[in-house]
Amino acid sequence: MTSAGRRLLHNDSPTPGTLPGSAPELLSEETVLEQARLLDITWRDGGGLWGWLTTVDHKLIARRYVVTAFLMFIAGGIEAAMMRLQLARPENTFLGPDRYNQIFTVHGTTMMFLFAVPIMTAMGLYLVPLMVGARSIAFPRLNAFGYYAYLVGVVFLYVSLFINMGPDAGWTAYVPLSGPQYSPGHRLDVWAQVVTFTEIAALCAAVNIIVTVFKLRAPGISLNRIPLFVWSQLVVSFMIVFAMPAVATASTLQLAADRALSTQWFNPAEGGDALLWQHIFWFFGHPEVYIIFLPGLGFISPIIETFCRRRVFGYLAIVLANITTGFFAFGLWVHHMFATPIPELGQSLFTAASLVIAIPTGVQIFCWLVTLLSGRPRLTTAMIFILGFFITFVNGGLTGVMVASVAFDKQVHDTFFVVAHFHYVLLGGAVMPLFAAFYYWFPKATGRLLDESLGKWHAWLFILGVNVAFFPMHILGLNGMPRRVYTYLASTGWGPLNALSTIGAVVVVISVALFVVNAAMSARVGRPAGANPWDSYGLEWATTSPPPNYNFVNTPIVLGRHPLWDTGSPLPVITGLRADRREVLVTTAFDAEPDYRHRQPNASIWPLFLALCMAEFWIGSIFTPWAVVGGFGLTLLGMLGWGWQSSRQIEVERVDTDLQIIDTV
Amino acid sequence: MSSASSSLVMLVGLLVTAGCERENHHFSEVPPTATPSASALVVSELQPGPATIAPKIDAPYDDNAYAVSEGKTLFTSMNCSGCHFEGGGGIGPALMDDEWIYGSEPQQIFASIAEGRPNGMPAWEYRLSTQQIWELVSFVRSLSSLNPKGARGGRDDHMMLKPPEVSTPKGKPKTASALPGTQH
Ligand code: HEM
Ligand SMILES: [Cu+2]
Repeated sequence: MTSAGRRLLHNDSPTPGTLPGSAPELLSEETVLEQARLLDITWRDGGGLWGWLTTVDHKLIARRYVVTAFLMFIAGGIEAAMMRLQLARPENTFLGPDRYNQIFTVHGTTMMFLFAVPIMTAMGLYLVPLMVGARSIAFPRLNAFGYYAYLVGVVFLYVSLFINMGPDAGWTAYVPLSGPQYSPGHRLDVWAQVVTFTEIAALCAAVNIIVTVFKLRAPGISLNRIPLFVWSQLVVSFMIVFAMPAVATASTLQLAADRALSTQWFNPAEGGDALLWQHIFWFFGHPEVYIIFLPGLGFISPIIETFCRRRVFGYLAIVLANITTGFFAFGLWVHHMFATPIPELGQSLFTAASLVIAIPTGVQIFCWLVTLLSGRPRLTTAMIFILGFFITFVNGGLTGVMVASVAFDKQVHDTFFVVAHFHYVLLGGAVMPLFAAFYYWFPKATGRLLDESLGKWHAWLFILGVNVAFFPMHILGLNGMPRRVYTYLASTGWGPLNALSTIGAVVVVISVALFVVNAAMSARVGRPAGANPWDSYGLEWATTSPPPNYNFVNTPIVLGRHPLWDTGSPLPVITGLRADRREVLVTTAFDAEPDYRHRQPNASIWPLFLALCMAEFWIGSIFTPWAVVGGFGLTLLGMLGWGWQSSRQIEVERVDTDLQIIDTV
Repeated sequence: MSSASSSLVMLVGLLVTAGCERENHHFSEVPPTATPSASALVVSELQPGPATIAPKIDAPYDDNAYAVSEGKTLFTSMNCSGCHFEGGGGIGPALMDDEWIYGSEPQQIFASIAEGRPNGMPAWEYRLSTQQIWELVSFVRSLSSLNPKGARGGRDDHMMLKPPEVSTPKGKPKTASALPGTQH
């Protein structure tokens, strides 16, 4: 690249349309169309069923991921509704104790492992490459593999539930309850393996996003210009890399081994340690909560900026808040264990840390409030959800600070107060921003807008329903109603508030049904969106809706944090990536200067094959040790096939003079 | 329906029923009793009158993991282990070996527990429900792997005094040569 180009990329005050030192060469429309035609042929995956199974297009995979994860939200929601019906009045007999145990466990497991984490990473897998202006994701086949691994987990959990083999020891699976003596049969083995599948899927997504963010950013997106949503995805991906192995180890190597191979990890009488489970689980489990809602917070900045027509206040503060949250999240896990005999010093330390983490989140909230108050907000559906987020999430955060104090926590531990607290955080911090994101990016993914008037019904009913469903639970918890019990006596006086809570849950169900109707209708007959329906600024809006299989005809060049607002459309581009094979532009990690041209693999069946081999391995191992032998051989075969394909396809070439910066303005 | 899809349906059906019975949790129900009067139980070939054929009663819970584990809990809480120890025998005979003084068939074990035996085995039918006795029957059988593997217990959550039931080799039950009353 020329030194002029380099100066261009790092010019702090971009002057649209001028390229110092380079002869402005314009791309004619025919060149662009011809280029697009060639690219489409190169990046197209096969048709038919085979093409469907072998595709490695990050957008297709991510779309399936989002849809599957949303179906899991609905499944988890049906289970929630069943629990609420059971609890609606004293001594109800709709679900017996055994069913209730399975249902709340599968609800928690579904919502945490099969809905919340996957849908957030899936949104990242769709949006991050587009937001950084890349042709594709860093590891397309790994991406497909991750999805299939996740899908196996989904199918396995639900088939098990239907044959009465659903796990029943809570989503936290505490030993000794979940151990071999008190959870006989295979119900808890199912839980352990489902967790393994989803952890593997999350790790695949995380690695993919980290490398995409660090190496595939379009020229000019230096670290201080990375979009805020991408920052949150980056931080979360690192958290996944550190958190998920802990629970995968605990569930597969320890819990499953204790159960199947009679190891003694969690048996104190033989030198094991029952508390070890809680430590490892929460070392993952606490960061998990942030893994779920940091991407949720990431959705908020672009949406507020777009609908307030104002750049976000405190970009740097928000980035640093994300990073500190990610860091501190690993120092709080013991606050879930205040009811166990941990030393007092530990209690104080973890109380302090839990209080401190409220600060960076508060910083973000204040940055958005400033942005909102100094902008000209438009109350679209997405913005209504953001308002819902403020009300609900802040409430959940406040009860969070309350339970961080040991004395208070001992009082409400394992009561409905805690259930109220974490639903406020999760529904307010993750699900409401997620719905906002659906309204905001649905036109990008489908080319059509969601209906706004149905949307507003959905938004208001949802916010109302959530608060009616969960607010009474605070009071119930303070009155002593324990969680995870299938019924209670009328003399407790808990009946009326429980009935109210169930009414709230019904309102939530209605509002989500409205959304499903809206999405199904709008996908077919909604108003066409065009490339940039909200007149927003990000690179994802610089390409068509839905984006073509190669994302961008030419890699855009970015001159500020808000490309389309800074430079106007069309953006200057860099040419020289070959159109006759799948190439992505690799740039340097800090300044995003062009570095390599990297050839990417074509469609492949190996990801699916390998995921199925792994399924045989893990699921079979519950029933017979021979499955391990067979699974080992099959997995080896899958990996050989995968590697053999790579050795023929993937190459790297240093960028040479054939990359050219072109100003299309 | 093609034969392939019908066999698939059968396979799934099999999985469902097999999965179900192993995983079911029976809380309170009334399984059949197996007292000698009801089933014409034979312990010895020596008896007056014509030979009788004992109708075989299947243990209702042999393949139910939850019931077997309930049996294990009862075994400790009713202090069966006080005499039989963890199954290896002490004051009472061993239950994890392959020798059975009064027989290893489910209804024979049921009778041993329900009615008691000479030399110190109490009769439990006045203390435990029929269901609980059947749970104990299946647990006792699991000690020498006489029930299906999937329903047998894993390692205990206390000191390891014997191998877990899942990994105990299957015993070939034989009637002990010794007369009743002789201790092992
Ligand atoms: C409006 C929708 C929802 C309703 C009505 C609902 C309701 C409930 C109820 C009644 C319980 C069981 C309380 C008990 O018996 O102890 C529960 C537990 C739980 N819920 Fe939800 N829930 C909803 C959405 C969610 C979401 C979106 C998440 C996560 C993202 C979630 C995560 C959990 C977890 C982790 C548990 C604990 C399970 C356990 O104790 O093992 N829920 N929910
Ligand atoms: Cu926590």
